[in-house]
Amino acid sequence: MRPPTFRSPWVYTVVGVIFTVILLSPLYWVLAGSLMTQRELFSPHFSIWPHQFVFQNWSNALVRLWPHFATSAIVSVCTSALTLLVTAPAAYAMIWLKVRGRGAILSFMLTSQMLPAIVFVIPLFILFSQVSLVNSLPGLILGDMTFTVPFALIMLSAYIREFPYQLVEAALVDGASQWRAFLSIVLPVTKTGMITVAIFSFLMPWGDLIFALTFITESGLQPLTLELYKAVGVYGIDWSFLLPGSLLTALPGVVFVVAASRFIVAGFTRGALH
Amino acid sequence: MKQLEAIPERPATPLGAQHRVAPRRRAAWRTALTSYSFILPIAVFGVFLLVYPVLYSLALSFRDATVETIVGGDMPFIGFSNYEQSLADPTFWQALQNTVVFTFCSILFQFTIGFLLAIFFQNRFPLKNVLIALLLIPWIIPVLTAANTFKGLFNEVGPINQIAHLLGLPTVPWLASPGFALAATIVANIWIGFPFNFILLYSGVCNIPPEVYEAARIDGAGYWRRVGHITLPILKPVTVAVLMLGTIYTVKVFDLVFIMTGGGPANTSHLLSTYAYQIGFSIYNYGEAAAIAIVIIAVILTLNLFQLFLKRR
Repeated sequence: MRPPTFRSPWVYTVVGVIFTVILLSPLYWVLAGSLMTQRELFSPHFSIWPHQFVFQNWSNALVRLWPHFATSAIVSVCTSALTLLVTAPAAYAMIWLKVRGRGAILSFMLTSQMLPAIVFVIPLFILFSQVSLVNSLPGLILGDMTFTVPFALIMLSAYIREFPYQLVEAALVDGASQWRAFLSIVLPVTKTGMITVAIFSFLMPWGDLIFALTFITESGLQPLTLELYKAVGVYGIDWSFLLPGSLLTALPGVVFVVAASRFIVAGFTRGALH
Repeated sequence: MKQLEAIPERPATPLGAQHRVAPRRRAAWRTALTSYSFILPIAVFGVFLLVYPVLYSLALSFRDATVETIVGGDMPFIGFSNYEQSLADPTFWQALQNTVVFTFCSILFQFTIGFLLAIFFQNRFPLKNVLIALLLIPWIIPVLTAANTFKGLFNEVGPINQIAHLLGLPTVPWLASPGFALAATIVANIWIGFPFNFILLYSGVCNIPPEVYEAARIDGAGYWRRVGHITLPILKPVTVAVLMLGTIYTVKVFDLVFIMTGGGPANTSHLLSTYAYQIGFSIYNYGEAAAIAIVIIAVILTLNLFQLFLKRR
């Protein structure tokens, strides 16, 4: 559909680039600002380009965030792995095994995906304080899983539904067990779906604030988001830490989306619309 | 062993065709056992970490649950007091109103921007996929990053006011003014959410066969007429899905407002979620916070039923 037909498709590229630049300009400001002194950043005059590049903001942020980076990575990797471990066999069962109550499980998961985190935060906080899971990474991982598990089950069910069942049937006829069919046929073939879900189940806890804020009060265990949230102190905001820090936190997501945009788009539309 | 258990699971003939009753029953039992082994982990997880918290929230909402009563071990049953207390609090109504305004404005603009981008990207041109990937960034980055970005942009001496000053416009302490604070969070949320709308609508638009447009073009229909009479009607199912998912995700928003304004100034920018969190973890009245959480669940379930109703029609 071309309204007025332009001779060169590059005209669209130019317009598209303009849209993109406008829509991403907030991030440009963060990037430029992360290299300015705080005085320049909030001077009365707007500066579109740092007068002098303060790379020290970035190195300071890196040094301060490094331990929290590790904490976040541990939490996100564990959450993602456990989520797949719990949901991948379940998604297989939801679609192809006659399990009583699978309709109930699916619709419950769908509903819990829609519930706000506060519904889980209050009771889990009370429960976890009684079993000393507060101020522990396992507690945080379990909390984060309350939003990754429903999401992953729904997405994976959509992927597995599209898998050609004849392959499984053939294996079963040849004498493979359901578990064997699942592990050696379904898993390898639905790899892209599994990876997509694994990455999203990584990014969700990576960006989580509410569970970290509630469950983790000891400074040794704070993930990235919490450390950054604390940069907003009583005496004002340390912008020369906050801006580079915020960009560092966004790094895994940006790398992922730029590297794998095609298949997230395909995967996400499939999962969301089914 | 494996061979024995596998074969009867998907018999080529109906089960009744076989007569060996006892082994069949054992096989059926075994099949069921295998099936349940697939869902055992998620069942355990679901019961303890999803079902239990929801039920416990419901129970808490009828109890006097504060730090002292929890440590004391008895949380007295107080009926609907928590609900009455929150309904009597003007901040609750403010938060409810804000949630409605926040959700409506966010969805309206996210959808409009997403739709316009989707029909623009319907054209084929070089670098298209790179631009699409870049446009997903606001949605893929942590909400915290986006929230800090807009906290900076709307800072009293931040770039928006710097530019306003440059243009001779009055400057506003956005995040410190009642009304403007909520508006600023809405702008931020539109920015976070437009890619989600864009990408789903774009995938819908890609599925429209080009011949449909050709026919309309031969009939002399202009561009916007074709958009209105062809693209929009064909996209209706996607639109309904996008709007409902968007609404549900927007009602859930917490981090953004919590980071940008913390509900301030003077509690004017609270959403139900941040208000509930404040009651729970600043005032430590878990019972009342749970009651507000139950109200949010009720709102979301109502929206959900509404969606089912729309789908039926």
